[in-house]
Amino acid sequence: MSLTRLSQLVWDYRDLLLTGIWVTIQLTVVAMLIALVVGLLACFGSLSRSRLIRAPAILFVEFCRNTPILVQLVWVHFAWPEIFGVKFTAWTSAAIALALQSSGYLAEEFRAGIESIEKGQIEASQSLGMTYTRLMYRIVVPQAFIRMIPGILNQFVTCFKSTSIVSIIAVPDLMYQAGLIVSATFLPMQIYTLIAIMYFLMVLAVSLGVRQLTRLLPNFGYFHARRPTD
Amino acid sequence: MPDDPRIEAPATVVGASIRLEAVVKRFGKLEVLSAIDLDVPSGSTVAIIGPSGSGKSTLVRCVNHLEPIQNGLITVGDTLISARGLEVAGRILGHRDVARFRTQVGMVFQQFNLFPHLTVMGNIIEAPVGVLRQPRKEAIERGMDLLDKVNLAEKARVYPAQLSGGQQQRVAIVRALMMQPRIMLFDEPTSALDPELIGEVLKVIAELALRGHTNVIVTHELAFAREVADKIVFMDGGKVVEEGIPAEVLDHPQMERTRTFLGRIGEAPARQTSQPKEGAP
Repeated sequence: MSLTRLSQLVWDYRDLLLTGIWVTIQLTVVAMLIALVVGLLACFGSLSRSRLIRAPAILFVEFCRNTPILVQLVWVHFAWPEIFGVKFTAWTSAAIALALQSSGYLAEEFRAGIESIEKGQIEASQSLGMTYTRLMYRIVVPQAFIRMIPGILNQFVTCFKSTSIVSIIAVPDLMYQAGLIVSATFLPMQIYTLIAIMYFLMVLAVSLGVRQLTRLLPNFGYFHARRPTD
Repeated sequence: MPDDPRIEAPATVVGASIRLEAVVKRFGKLEVLSAIDLDVPSGSTVAIIGPSGSGKSTLVRCVNHLEPIQNGLITVGDTLISARGLEVAGRILGHRDVARFRTQVGMVFQQFNLFPHLTVMGNIIEAPVGVLRQPRKEAIERGMDLLDKVNLAEKARVYPAQLSGGQQQRVAIVRALMMQPRIMLFDEPTSALDPELIGEVLKVIAELALRGHTNVIVTHELAFAREVADKIVFMDGGKVVEEGIPAEVLDHPQMERTRTFLGRIGEAPARQTSQPKEGAP
């Protein structure tokens, strides 16, 4: 098959492909936004001094991290309607499952960041009369957040790649569209190769963007300060 | 004079007295402070000297309750610190009141512990504005005034990482003073500094920090201790071995252990041991 033929194919199915890409991006962004909030809550829960809060939070985090994404996806989509009596569209189920998975990893990322802050910072805050809550949100979390940025961006990339699995429950993401095109054209080799290249290029673009961003960060405020001036 | 820690410090700061009675501090099975008795009268300056591991740092950290004690009693103003926690007039303090109590006790750490994500000004007004609820503008004015006194006014907008160790420690002292504490605790304030930077920090402590409050200074700088302290306490092995006015303890030590320690550190001052750097500018 010639290259012109393949480009013709891409052009013919451009609507499906673009819709697929759009759904994939939407899912990633929405899932990550939910996961950032839920992950932060779970992280504070797992650091709580009250066992009543800590135990369920740790259980939640471990559950999210230690069940396969495919299992979570199918569980949310097919089991939650019976367990909780709520029925979601495939898209919503997919977003919830991806958010579950990511929030577990992010919670761990956050916890590691918070625990990496030197004890002296906490002691200095205490000696200035700060309560635990105040020293957390004024001193510890802002510093920890900076250390978390690479981890958060990594999780973003992982989440992006994980979206390909949602085609299983018929969410029209890029992978799902690929299946449609294959069944219409009977060209699995060409189409799936093309899709692989598209995923690769998109993830590569995000990764390069991330790398560029982390290279630019040291030019701003606090980041700048970490460089010796002379 | 009531020393209620919940009452705002007056404009002219009055030091609170500190008294330790049979204070015991253990880390697991290791006894770091063994029945310490110590009196620091209101407004006086006490220097604590002694070999590393003698419990000097732990002692000052117990005074603002960064370390809980296992036995005995510490009286700071009218606040009592015991194994049960803090209490004022028979009432056990919750964590909010403990935090409130600490606003009256300034602390300067060996490792400075400035907040790296805040500018110098941000560091010194953080607690006055956030904890004491002082108007931001007022805090900044007072901050500039104090920074000016330690010759760092032009550094107000930079971040701690851009400062030398000596400059950082001067900022840390200003940060503690901004709270207008009644007590200042110095935990080896110059031990992490390069030898050539020690002088500037000691000067700031002597000129600025020691006015009006009660001060406890843990230090290896004997000449400095002699100059500023009303009383010198020599500690070893978690006990107070000897205490008295500087001339007595430093020049005519009564105890053998004090003599040995002074012989080691006094004749070859601590500063010189780390100095020989070939061709240092």
